[in-house]
Amino acid sequence: MANSLQPDLLALVRDPIDQAALIQHVRAAEDGAVVTFDGCVRNHSHGRRTLYLDYEAYESMALGKIREIAAQIHEKFPVHLVAIAHRLGRLEIGETSVFIAVSSAHRPGAFDACRFAIDTLKRTVPIWKKEYFEDGAVWADGEMPPAPLETREAKPAS
Amino acid sequence: MARYTSAGYNSLVSLCSPTARVKVLFFGRLKEIVGHAEDSVELPDGAPIEALFSHYGASHPELARFRASLVASHNQEFAAWSTPLHSGDEVAFLPPVSGG
Repeated sequence: MANSLQPDLLALVRDPIDQAALIQHVRAAEDGAVVTFDGCVRNHSHGRRTLYLDYEAYESMALGKIREIAAQIHEKFPVHLVAIAHRLGRLEIGETSVFIAVSSAHRPGAFDACRFAIDTLKRTVPIWKKEYFEDGAVWADGEMPPAPLETREAKPAS
Repeated sequence: MARYTSAGYNSLVSLCSPTARVKVLFFGRLKEIVGHAEDSVELPDGAPIEALFSHYGASHPELARFRASLVASHNQEFAAWSTPLHSGDEVAFLPPVSGG
């Protein structure tokens, strides 16, 4: 579990992501493994040459959903600490758009948690990217987040 | 209070016919369609999110076309379209997400 002195590092950032700092943040003497995921801007999409990407987010909700992912990771996997940073704004080819680092005493938990983190982020965190090509720009095809069923009684306002 | 302020009069009116003022947010292609990122709308208290969407769909037919691929959020949680709205609520219509 994350301790209160050095909790998980979860952030939306506009400057380049400092990967070393995220790894350093999760890595401690009791850990035997740190698994990382580096999501980077590809130079092509659907057969077209990509010039750059522009990311935008529903920032407060996105950060809330990223915190939920970290909380789920601590429930599901035997990990020590989690760091997740997603960048917003214009990103050039090759730059890191999302970086995830998970530390654990043993590697299986760290591998599983890191995979869970990026898969869940891509499905549930309200962030959108616009792809810019030589001949125009499009909002990338995305994934539908899992919404509550309409048949279920609506949640009362909190 | 000795005199009736306009605020007092308004609160009396809202007792008779309650309305809710909600904040509405647009992202991605929806923001481009409606032309702004944020709006504030007054609607009958308890009206569902679906009714709020219809309000925008009526003035922006292109928005209505995306309805099947959208998810609604209510106070920053994914929500059913039947969720009733009250004053101070924050609603967003979210296109398929594409982070990562």
